[in-house]
Amino acid sequence: METAAAFPLRAPPKLVTRLTIVHLVEMILGGILMVFVVLPSIFRFSLVSASFWQIYGRFYVTGLFGTFFYVALTLPLSVVLGFLMGWARVSRIRVFSWPASLYVNVFRGLPPLILVIFASLFGTNLVPQPIMDRFLSGFRRGDIAVGLAAIAIAMHSSAYQAEIFRAGFQSVPKGQQEAAQALGLRPWQGMMHVILPQTFRLSLPPLGNEFAVLIKDTSILAAISGTELVAKSRDLLGILPASGFPIVWIFAVWTVVALTYFVLTYSVTRGLRLLERKFHTPGLESISL
Amino acid sequence: MIRVEDIQKHFGALHVLRGITFDVQKAEAIVIIGPSGSGKSTLLRCINLLVEPDSGKVFIDGVHVNRHGIRHEWVRQQVGMVFQSFNLFTHLTAIENVTLGLTRVKGIPHDQAIEKARKLLARVGLAAKENAYPAELSGGQQQRVAIARALAMDPKAMLFDEPTSALDPEYIREVLDVMAALAREGMTMIVVTHEMGFASNVASRILFMDAGKIIEEGTAEDIFQNPKEDRTRSFVSKILR
Amino acid sequence: MTNWRKFLRDRWRYFDAALALAVIIGSLVYIYDLLVGSRGLDVAYITRNYPLYLHAVFTNVYATTIAFVVGMALGFSVGWLRTARTVSVAKFAASMRVEKRERQEAPSGSEVTRRLLVVLSLLWYGTKYVVRRIGDGFVEIIRGTPLYVQILFASSFFIVFLPQYASEGILIGIIALAINTGGYQAEIFRAGLQTVHSGQVEAARAIGFSRLKAMRYVILPQALRLIIPPLTNEYIGLFKASTFLFVLGVQSEISYIAQHEGFAGDVFEIFAIVTVIFLAITVTLSFVVQALERRFRIPGLGIEQVKLPRGVRIARVGG
Repeated sequence: METAAAFPLRAPPKLVTRLTIVHLVEMILGGILMVFVVLPSIFRFSLVSASFWQIYGRFYVTGLFGTFFYVALTLPLSVVLGFLMGWARVSRIRVFSWPASLYVNVFRGLPPLILVIFASLFGTNLVPQPIMDRFLSGFRRGDIAVGLAAIAIAMHSSAYQAEIFRAGFQSVPKGQQEAAQALGLRPWQGMMHVILPQTFRLSLPPLGNEFAVLIKDTSILAAISGTELVAKSRDLLGILPASGFPIVWIFAVWTVVALTYFVLTYSVTRGLRLLERKFHTPGLESISL
Repeated sequence: MIRVEDIQKHFGALHVLRGITFDVQKAEAIVIIGPSGSGKSTLLRCINLLVEPDSGKVFIDGVHVNRHGIRHEWVRQQVGMVFQSFNLFTHLTAIENVTLGLTRVKGIPHDQAIEKARKLLARVGLAAKENAYPAELSGGQQQRVAIARALAMDPKAMLFDEPTSALDPEYIREVLDVMAALAREGMTMIVVTHEMGFASNVASRILFMDAGKIIEEGTAEDIFQNPKEDRTRSFVSKILR
Repeated sequence: MTNWRKFLRDRWRYFDAALALAVIIGSLVYIYDLLVGSRGLDVAYITRNYPLYLHAVFTNVYATTIAFVVGMALGFSVGWLRTARTVSVAKFAASMRVEKRERQEAPSGSEVTRRLLVVLSLLWYGTKYVVRRIGDGFVEIIRGTPLYVQILFASSFFIVFLPQYASEGILIGIIALAINTGGYQAEIFRAGLQTVHSGQVEAARAIGFSRLKAMRYVILPQALRLIIPPLTNEYIGLFKASTFLFVLGVQSEISYIAQHEGFAGDVFEIFAIVTVIFLAITVTLSFVVQALERRFRIPGLGIEQVKLPRGVRIARVGG
């Protein structure tokens, strides 16, 4: 008979492998090459010019905070909505599944730009009057419109997340719930302790990609004069020639903006991949790339 | 111990169980054989109410369980079940698989649950594998963990739904050994299986099912040596050839 | 079992469906009431003007299609570059060490040719590595930055360097969209090409196929099956992204809305038209994707396509 000693069978997977470090270093070196050598030599600007940052700095910081604000607003909302809709879509009860699938198809089918413009024009009509009076009376109408547009972006993303969660739910075999019930767990306990943990693990990597898309999508708010990075940078363009910079310095602005989004999305996707590796369970790695 | 009275079950237009009646005494090991699609698995699932019979009665230890007012969860604690495809919880280690029911259903403190689970894993010969995830175990080891998981609930009877048919041949032995040991220790068991060696060595009675009915029942000798019904004879001749 | 329980169990599906429809219709009517209310829908406006919007959407369709085809050429090249086999520095160094030890143990051949071989292979792998990394970088940049920024970058580029074309919004838009979709398609092609198992080539060669024939009869049929559904998804995504043409001043459905922004008159009607047209196109296309997937699915091909995580539209399951 084997001994009852508790020892781990295998070393837990390394969180950071040498390959990821190599990739990171390559990425950073390549980025530095691109941003400080290639692009400046094509467009004749310099990102280390103090006078440039003197004008752009304030715009940049305001814009970045705006972007952070919208991400902080939309991301949790979209996850909650997406999870609920995904769950509802796999439900056998049609009162849940049919409206959820309508929601998913409509919000996935419409371009975010249209949703954003729609929400900014009509969103206030859809908010119940008591809520308007109670919570939103202190805000300017324009700010409310942009906030609602941000919610529209969250809903757009939540439709995609619903599909991710649905795929997660569906890739947990039916036998799992059956086995849970055969042990005497109630259906909700089976859901809590058996189905949901597996769903979340299966959904993590594609969720990372979706979060990155959501971060990028907040830039659409610039189209309806939301205060965020793209909009603030566009504002700067108006005063750039007047400040004595040649017109090619536009590209300095866009390079900074692109780099910022790149760092944000890259860290989110990689962060979630780390998280996935931390929770890694052999046999539970199906939907990922 | 377990009594089933005139059970009927339809799946849509399909009439799966057409009036099944039988008794299982305490410490008996019943083996159910029959061609695929004859309703064996559905019958097992009717006993622990994973599938609710359309009509008929199921008694466990004298209690009529498929009636209003009896919680399904309670019934399922009385009879453990082992599945063909193991159905171990993929995200939990072997020992966590065993303790989940103990802590969440029986409300046993974590330490005691671990202790009990260790004993059970040792009993099925897997003490060293307690921290392995199901994907890291062979089929035979997974099935033995599944047996330990079912035993942890201290069931009065055990249901085995083709426990070895998803296994590679070299792992069948170890699972059957565990089951035979259980039977020797006096566990009441109902086993659906195609392992005729197991049936003739361990079974106190064999039921032959076809098309949702029990065609014949008797000892291994009765069924295998001199079956009375034609259908039994043709089935037995096919599998014993 | 009591009668009403039995009734509920038997009729539950119908009851459930009716309730679901009631919820859907109820909420749609509620939303309609909030948006239109007593004003009433201006049906005359819709019947009069919908051709205008159909035409505007047609602009989107053709811009999308051109950009998609151009992007496909770009995406296939980049995706193919990215499948180039490379060796990590550590592995290369290790093989060099092995080679050196063997040379010391059993010297053979001239020292000069050996050195030359090392340098050549270093160059070969180095070039492949750099080319592949450039491909990777392109894809990462496209995927890591918003389309909006890419479009603004492109339009700035035209304003600064090619001012004579700067007013051609549709041209700029198509170029920007083509580069964008090229980055996403590169990922699709790479995944598609890589997921066809190398054992398949071996098996095909083993029964006597030439390399070309193996590609034609074994690899391509498998890769295409994998690639077509995500490519269609990419087309849908690009079609939705083409609404950004409006940012460049292209006369599209959104620019009509923008022109109307001053007076709220018929803006809702415009939205109703645009929404219906867009949903008709995207939902139809996504049903096409589902049909394609069913049509092309081969049990056990070893790849499940995860449909909708945007950005990465192919996923591999298992080996």
